[in-house]
Amino acid sequence: MFSDLFYRLRAFLRREAMESEADAELRFHFERQVEKHLKTGMTREEAVRRARIEFGGHEQLKEEIRDARGVNLVETLFQDIRYGLRILARTPVISCVAVLSLALGIGANTAIFSLIDTVMLRMLPVQKPEELTQVRMRDPRSPNEEPEGTFTNPLWEALRDRQDFYSGIFAWSWAQFDLSQGGAVHDAKGMFTSGDYFSTLGIRPAAGRLLTADDDKRGCPAVAVLSYGFWQEHFGGAPSAVGGTLSLDNHTFGVIGVSAPGFFGLDVGNKFDVAIPVCAAQIFDGPRTRLDRRSWWWLNVAGRTKPGVGAEELKTRLGVVSPQIFAAALPADWEAKDQQGFLRRTFEPSPVATGTSYLRKQFRQPLHVLMGVVGLVLLIACANIASLMLARASARHREIAVRKALGASRARLIRQLLTECVLLSTAGALLGFFFARWGSSLLVRYISTGDNKVFLDLSFDWRVLSFTAGIAVFTGLLFGVLPAFRSTRVSLTSAMKGSQAVDAESRTKFRPGKWIVASQVALSLVLLVASGLFLRSLVKLVTLDVGFDRNNVLIVRANLHNAKVPPEQQPAMFDEIESRLHALPGVVSASRSVMTPVSNYIWNNFLDVDTPNAPTGDAALAFFNFISPRYLETVRTPLLAGRNFNDGDSKTAQRVAVVNETLARRFFPNGDALGKYFRVHPDPGKPALPIQIVGLAKDAKYASLREEAHATAYFPIAQMPEDAEEQVFELRTSARPSALISSVQEAVAGVSKAVPLEFHTLAEQVDDSLVQERLLATLSTFFGGLALVLAMIGLYGALSYLVSQRQPEFGIRMALGAPRGSILRLVMRDVAVVLAGGLAAGTCLAMATVGVLQKMLFGLAPHDTFTFVAATSVLAAVAILAGYLPARRAMRIDPMAALRYE
Amino acid sequence: MAQRRIELPQGTLDLLILRTLALEPQHGWAISERMQQISSDVLLVQQGSLYPALHRLERRGWIKAKWGTSENNRRAKYYQLTKTGRKQLELEKDSWHKLTAAIAQILETA
Repeated sequence: MFSDLFYRLRAFLRREAMESEADAELRFHFERQVEKHLKTGMTREEAVRRARIEFGGHEQLKEEIRDARGVNLVETLFQDIRYGLRILARTPVISCVAVLSLALGIGANTAIFSLIDTVMLRMLPVQKPEELTQVRMRDPRSPNEEPEGTFTNPLWEALRDRQDFYSGIFAWSWAQFDLSQGGAVHDAKGMFTSGDYFSTLGIRPAAGRLLTADDDKRGCPAVAVLSYGFWQEHFGGAPSAVGGTLSLDNHTFGVIGVSAPGFFGLDVGNKFDVAIPVCAAQIFDGPRTRLDRRSWWWLNVAGRTKPGVGAEELKTRLGVVSPQIFAAALPADWEAKDQQGFLRRTFEPSPVATGTSYLRKQFRQPLHVLMGVVGLVLLIACANIASLMLARASARHREIAVRKALGASRARLIRQLLTECVLLSTAGALLGFFFARWGSSLLVRYISTGDNKVFLDLSFDWRVLSFTAGIAVFTGLLFGVLPAFRSTRVSLTSAMKGSQAVDAESRTKFRPGKWIVASQVALSLVLLVASGLFLRSLVKLVTLDVGFDRNNVLIVRANLHNAKVPPEQQPAMFDEIESRLHALPGVVSASRSVMTPVSNYIWNNFLDVDTPNAPTGDAALAFFNFISPRYLETVRTPLLAGRNFNDGDSKTAQRVAVVNETLARRFFPNGDALGKYFRVHPDPGKPALPIQIVGLAKDAKYASLREEAHATAYFPIAQMPEDAEEQVFELRTSARPSALISSVQEAVAGVSKAVPLEFHTLAEQVDDSLVQERLLATLSTFFGGLALVLAMIGLYGALSYLVSQRQPEFGIRMALGAPRGSILRLVMRDVAVVLAGGLAAGTCLAMATVGVLQKMLFGLAPHDTFTFVAATSVLAAVAILAGYLPARRAMRIDPMAALRYE
Repeated sequence: MAQRRIELPQGTLDLLILRTLALEPQHGWAISERMQQISSDVLLVQQGSLYPALHRLERRGWIKAKWGTSENNRRAKYYQLTKTGRKQLELEKDSWHKLTAAIAQILETA
């Protein structure tokens, strides 16, 4: 294969020399043959004649040799390219439009694909990633659910110490650390790693050393490893950083090293800044550390299988050791029923060569939908260029006829036309590549939210490169093949006869053009319907009555644990801060709570009531919040009946609650919830105090905008069963919430300078929960619009061409007395036919495909009539406009001028 | 010379060239002469068609060419079999035998 190519190239580059060699060779043969005949006694003349007959035509032979050597292929390729460039340069506007629309199409496809590649397909940049498996737990009671991947520390330690089939096994957990020492929070992404984490993955240090098993022992010193990126950003890559210190949540850690560049952790979408040993959790937790807690689930576990242990064997052996490990880590305070379930769990390996990622779950479907969307855009762009090429090829009708008459083979002409197409698509792909780089980083920024910065390593790998190259060639052929084949099927006689004949023929030739435009209309309709559905879903979500007012609320998260305030002083300090914030100028009302609406955090438990037919199972689940008296007023959740909390609802007073309508309806169907009592399912060994319902609040969204209203109970924050060392202040402001940040900081510093604060607005928080919906709506609308523009260019171009071709005919019609209106009707009839066909096909196609969007929509069915009608009307209106312009031109043709033409 | 000459079946020219070169390196004219002699003038090979075939074989890497001096002291292009060419010859010989045997069998029995 290579030697062949090499030979051809050499043949091409040394063609002068080889030409003369071939000449000499042929001459040698010829002369020997003549000599041979002379020896048999022929005359010289006779001998030459015989030799010539036997030998064949000299020049013809040389051409055949050139072909055999493969020179022609290379040479004509260069010819084709040169000629193709010249042709493309002759119509710069058309070529630019073609390249640009291709670049957009290819760029969009590459961008989405590169996201799919990074999130789902790419191998981790660690040693032999295919040997790694994550250990997860299967609960036999729910065999169809995804196995659970989070461990408690005792469970992890038991597994680590009781297995012999992993050559290395490690645990890790993500955490957020505050680098500041009081004042505004400066977050760093932290990672707890067990001792063998780095060594098992085969990560090398870029400076200093990495954590080892010796660093991960109970009571370990506070040491940390920095990621390469964090080292560069934060310390400017200074070698002195190693050996220095770092404050994490107000605890001092010694920096022992920096990990190699390019390693970000095992979770795609996250990158760590600092890694600290698992045992260091004790430093943050104090004596009741999570290291000993048997129901604190926080660690992920993965390992590298020993050589020779196959996938099946690994699964079996994990299953075999499971019972003793679960027995060793059994939570003692669980109910007997739950303990039984716990003991029946089994470990299961799952491949983790491509890492783990929450992004996969959240964005798999949206990414696939977007891939489909940009695929359609590319098809429409191709269709556009195909009709341009077709129009141009018809204009080159005579050129092609002449070339054919001069002896060019049809294959040769097709090759020439296809070369032009591949030139276009290559240019499109190159430009598209830049669009893609820019687009994919834009997308990543888009799906990042205030709370959750998504990090993806977007360096393009071979998979993305070959994807782009592949679609470049594919699109080139797609839009090139039809025009190339059609336009080379020329009847020589009619072409040579003159243009009238050509015109008559090209009227029938417009038919494939019509098909192309109709299919563009159909595909555009599908895109418009999809984007309409997503837009309407988003609008419904945004305008939903959520039960609180998200505007002008500043959320301030304060952590007194990290401020090292003793627990017994915390309630008073929180109270003090709240009243200072309430008194700030610009604050309409300030409150505090443990939860905020739509915040990714939930607190729920089962309720017991004494009424007959009380809800059981999941129906008895209620969602909790602990609030200060002004909370409902601040977030503007209306109190419908009963009373609000007041200072009398203290820790020692009767337990009280305000419940929402759903809770009241579900637990007290007779509508008499006020004044009734319920109990919260108690922790083992703790009493369940009766709680009296004193107020009824309107339903409000708790965890997500998409949820059906949850049964929700609000309790006075003073009556919290355990201490919440992190609480949230809500400030309803009279102006822009973020303008208050500095005065809030000052006010809190007036109480204590050590308190770390985190600021959000409620509006941001709600917006962030709609990332997926907004992504789909924005991108599909953008691409839907793009498709619309492309389709209109296609229709406009095709009709303009048709009109220019039929100009003489229109001229004659008018000269014979046809009114101008009838010419307009003639052209518009064509538009109507194409449009009707395209819309009908598009509606069918959309009906058949939108079903897959079901899960991503909110508040409307995929076959939403309004969306279909709206999309169809928009498309029809724009198409008629695009068709009207050339039609009007046709109508204004001066009959005399048209007839003089030709 | 009433003897009827047979046109070469498609594709067999390559095989014949390879076989001729298996003995010793030769130039074009000698190859053509030799093929004529051995086949006792039964096969009709248009002499010119030999050259595109030779160049094709060279491109495939089955033979290689070198300029040398001919028996009458003139510069001539000599072709010789390469290692892959030798392998190819065995392959083609083999399939040729199979083909002819199969055809013969059909002609005999059918």
